Amino acid sequence: MSNFEGCPGSKMHDFKKKDDQENGLTIKVASQLKHWPIQLHLVSPAASYYQGADVLLSADCVAYALGSLHSDYLKGKSLAIACPKLDESQNAYVEKIKSLVDDAKINTLTVMIMQVPCCMGLLELAKKAAAEAKRKVPVKYLVVGIQGEILKDEWAIN
Amino acid sequence: MKEYLNKGIKEVVKQFPRIADILDEYQIGCGPCSVGTCLLKDIVNIHNLSPEDEQSLMAKIAEVIYPGPPVKIPEPARRQGSGSREIKYSPPMKKLVDEHVLIKKLVALIPKLIEYLDLESDQGRQLILDSIDFIRSYADKYHHAKEEDILFKYFDPNLDILKVMYEDHETGRAHVRAIVAGVEKRDKSVVIEHLNGYQELLSGHIKKEDEILYPWLDRELSTSQVGEMFSKFNEIDKQFGCTAKRYEEVIKKLEERFKIEPSLSSMTSWVKSH
Ligand SMILES: [Fe+2]
Ligand SMILES: [Fe+2]
Repeated sequence: MSNFEGCPGSKMHDFKKKDDQENGLTIKVASQLKHWPIQLHLVSPAASYYQGADVLLSADCVAYALGSLHSDYLKGKSLAIACPKLDESQNAYVEKIKSLVDDAKINTLTVMIMQVPCCMGLLELAKKAAAEAKRKVPVKYLVVGIQGEILKDEWAIN
Repeated sequence: MKEYLNKGIKEVVKQFPRIADILDEYQIGCGPCSVGTCLLKDIVNIHNLSPEDEQSLMAKIAEVIYPGPPVKIPEPARRQGSGSREIKYSPPMKKLVDEHVLIKKLVALIPKLIEYLDLESDQGRQLILDSIDFIRSYADKYHHAKEEDILFKYFDPNLDILKVMYEDHETGRAHVRAIVAGVEKRDKSVVIEHLNGYQELLSGHIKKEDEILYPWLDRELSTSQVGEMFSKFNEIDKQFGCTAKRYEEVIKKLEERFKIEPSLSSMTSWVKSH
């Protein structure tokens, strides 16, 4: 019998927390999002909030896995989101990130991806764009586990 | 325990010399530090040990200070990437580490400069002055300017570890002044003494920066500060234009000359043609 269990990105997991673990938590968490739109196909590098900004490029699923995304990672940054597995016309993504680096002259690019292998594509895409851009910016990446743990937090050296 | 954690390392080691050996066991070479004002707790923090190592180090230190029944020791900090021996620098910090590589090459050539030291001929003196030009222009103006005017500015100047770094830079400058004065007076012993002094100082200084200071500063800087520092460094690189490239060539040629024909005549003929 084969050990192959199919795509790890689509494999099912059930990590229901013990009911009372998070119950009773009624604090309202403020959103740190400071602009709209956020989907990478929709955003414009000419927008004022990208100029000289620290940009967070996040895989779609990250926001659901990581409870503290707003306060710990989005705060102070401008956002763009994408899915490297399902989104179409990803060449446009490379061009858009290049334009963020060269035209919006962003300060840094932080890429947040999920631990599933297919999500690496977003980091590769960002690194390719950063390498092709005329300006150079520091690129860092974080890998988030499916239960919200930070598995990696490193600078990506091109 | 807290009392000693808040004391300068020199004072602690003076009172308990055994602690220097214990720190050494954990590759913390701060015991013999001549300045020694860094607090014991900061030294432990800066070296980023794994929580397990930090706990056993603290237990050993506590045993020396308070022999007898075990005393309460502070919980080890769980820092991102702690205990890992592989150092990953942020891009601007990596630039500084790369510049150290060239400086270390000059430092490694110092024994040869001493072996073939000739202060009687113009060419012999020029060889030393060319090396001094590298130290002043590349190591000091270009590299130390990034450290002192940009990187260190993100931190409290009263941090002991930064004071040690500033002091090292100043000591280096004093060695350089002494070498130049020695060349002018054709005093071989002075030149040798301070070339050796510079070599010893810089080897230790660069090691401290690469292995301890930079990784720690990297952990303290925000992403935004790293980005800002990166563009400030790029500005400096632009201002200096091809300086870096030119000094890479200087070192390369110097290395080639020493390797291929390590004789004074070939050395001086290189200086002439340069
Ligand atoms: Fe330095
Ligand atoms: Fe340095």
